[in-house]
Amino acid sequence: MNFVRQFFGVLQVDLSGAAQRMGSVLTIIIGVTCAVGVLVSMLAMGIGMQRQATENVRSDRVILSSTGARDIQSSIPRDEAVSARDLPGIKKDVKGAPIVIFTSLIPIEAHRRLTGTRTFFPLMGTTANLIQYRPEIRLTGGRLFQPGLHELIASNPCRRQFTGFEIGDRRSIRGIDWSIVGHFDEGHTLQCVVYTDVDVLMSTFNRNTYNQVSVMLQSAADFDTFRDALQANPALHLEVQHEREAVLEDFKQLKGILDFASYFVGTIMAIGATLGAVNSLYAIVDARRRELGTLRAIGFGSAAVVASILCESLLFSLPGALLGGALAWVFFNGLSASPFGYNFQLAVTPSLALIGIAWSLGMGLAGGLLPALRAARVPVATALRAA
Amino acid sequence: MKFLPLFWSGIWRKPGRTALIFFQVSVAFALFGMLQGMKTGVDHAAAAARADLLIVHSRLSFLAASLPAGALDQIKSVPGVELVVPVDIFGATYQKPTQGLGVVAISLVKDWPSAFTFSMAPEHLAAFQKLRTAALVRYELAEKYGWKIGDRIPLMSHTAQMDGSTDWAFDIVGTFSDSDVGSGRDNILINLAYLEEARFLGKGTVQHFNVAISDPKQAAAVSDEIDRRFANSPQETKTESLLELAQQQAQEIGDMNFLIRAIVGAALAALLFATASMMMQSIRERRVELAVLKAVGFTDRSVFLLILAEALLVCVAAGAFGLTLATVLLPIAGVFVVGLSMPKIVIAIGLGLAIVVALISAAVPAVQAGRLKVAIALANG
Repeated sequence: MNFVRQFFGVLQVDLSGAAQRMGSVLTIIIGVTCAVGVLVSMLAMGIGMQRQATENVRSDRVILSSTGARDIQSSIPRDEAVSARDLPGIKKDVKGAPIVIFTSLIPIEAHRRLTGTRTFFPLMGTTANLIQYRPEIRLTGGRLFQPGLHELIASNPCRRQFTGFEIGDRRSIRGIDWSIVGHFDEGHTLQCVVYTDVDVLMSTFNRNTYNQVSVMLQSAADFDTFRDALQANPALHLEVQHEREAVLEDFKQLKGILDFASYFVGTIMAIGATLGAVNSLYAIVDARRRELGTLRAIGFGSAAVVASILCESLLFSLPGALLGGALAWVFFNGLSASPFGYNFQLAVTPSLALIGIAWSLGMGLAGGLLPALRAARVPVATALRAA
Repeated sequence: MKFLPLFWSGIWRKPGRTALIFFQVSVAFALFGMLQGMKTGVDHAAAAARADLLIVHSRLSFLAASLPAGALDQIKSVPGVELVVPVDIFGATYQKPTQGLGVVAISLVKDWPSAFTFSMAPEHLAAFQKLRTAALVRYELAEKYGWKIGDRIPLMSHTAQMDGSTDWAFDIVGTFSDSDVGSGRDNILINLAYLEEARFLGKGTVQHFNVAISDPKQAAAVSDEIDRRFANSPQETKTESLLELAQQQAQEIGDMNFLIRAIVGAALAALLFATASMMMQSIRERRVELAVLKAVGFTDRSVFLLILAEALLVCVAAGAFGLTLATVLLPIAGVFVVGLSMPKIVIAIGLGLAIVVALISAAVPAVQAGRLKVAIALANG
């Protein structure tokens, strides 16, 4: 009990003097604010990307690709794709047909509206029952593409970001005119997505294998039944993944780069802020030598002094964390970014605020340690004699 | 000269504090150097791309469309064109579906390397031109898979051979390096004549032509002239120099200017505040010493300059240290950009910023020190 009373006693003395040392206190707060603000803003990129990618994910949808391969490298022969439709656990539509779509991906190019620069994005060929598999697709203009025709439907972000995606526009792909016949929204994604008929696309590009087969299950619980049946079938050389896993895998590399960059820069900033905090706390401790000496002389233990200085350091870091998180939210939340051709909005979330607070506490602790020890080691007699 | 020991002792009055400030400034400038160095470095690398090499591809699409090989003669007849080399490309995978690489098939016309950014040993070049199934592999790629000269590498692709097989095999005869920043790392070069003979589809077409021109200043004019010759034909072309292509690519990567500026701004703002507050603290503690200096005859001006010089020395030395650190670390941090090095302009701007930080943070304390009233300072202790 004695330690606790002493601790709060010293802490009270510490904080009552803080106003007189505003310069040092502000140095700590501003340093921590900047470090946390930068870390949170940068991590918001990874979070924003992940949030957009998983926004439409459903647990009853699974993705099949050829064993060991993903996306554009995956290659599923037509016969395997067709027999995958007969696996158990697949949801049927009103007519009794399984809700399964075949997908083929071809990179095509578009030109940015603002700068005119060229960028590549995948043109997705799918089967006509796309809407049954993806009910989140909401047509906002025009109509769906018709099987057998060179028709495209584009998501609204395409129209906003690139030229040549208005309804009625014609795009030349492999020397053939393709017309845009519809616009749609797919949740809130900022990524440009263009769909067309898979058979038309594959014959245009001389392909005879699909890239992916996507399946809607009767319920998420049927996943095991479906996977076991798939693995038991020797004619199918396919792998199944939950939609969430498949989507996250696509972004894993870029998210890894973004997160690494965030923590790299965040760590450097934190080292800078910690050095600043150490300096400020040393200055504070030095300025209070006599005060601390007096406390020790009247019987306060050195442990209480150490703990209270550490606590003071943590208390000065916390407002920095809150301020940094708040600034990151004000400036960066909802900002669109498009590194490496991906488009998404930065998302500053409560979990990021927690990371920011943990980060600031780390800085406070590391920054407070040495000054606290120095404060406790001040020889009482010298401190009292010092002018 | 007599001031030197004076401000030296001022700096080392509290070695711990000076060391902390030094490292804090270093850290901030190391961060500045790396971020700005990366951005400017990529821009510089793009600007250094060859303006005298043009790529003629189909206007329809950069990747997905082809041109007839016969367009060669028409391109060659454009004034200013030195050399035209037909090139076709296709994607393949090695062993695993995730190990993709690009196969670049080049027509081995006379002097073809002068229309590319590749460099290779003469004996590798000679061997490449001798064997029809030969392949030159990019040095980094050979390291990655442990390939050696004489190895025969099996590749899988979507490109069918005459017998319907989509598997290809090539004999490695050497390695090459590529000075172009925009090119893929995982590339191999093969003989277009062999591909043309062996493939089932796409005979007589190429993906693009590499064109070397005599005067880089004429790049835009020559490009326009080439595109004009194919205008309104079934095979409209689009001609771009490697310089233009690299600049487009740098723009895609460098779409993060705002973020970089915000980070650097935050780091410098925090730094400015920290150094200013430390300088104030230091001056407060040294009132008596400074008053003594004035009492023995130092002018206000020289005390003012003394404080300023102290701040300048610490900040510039720390800034230089931080920027040196950044120069060493940059090639590691920017591993995905080939040949990235620290641009001198970033060093210069960094040192300029260090001076600015020193001047701003020392301004108020230095003025205070200059205006110090000897009697009051000595009396109040």
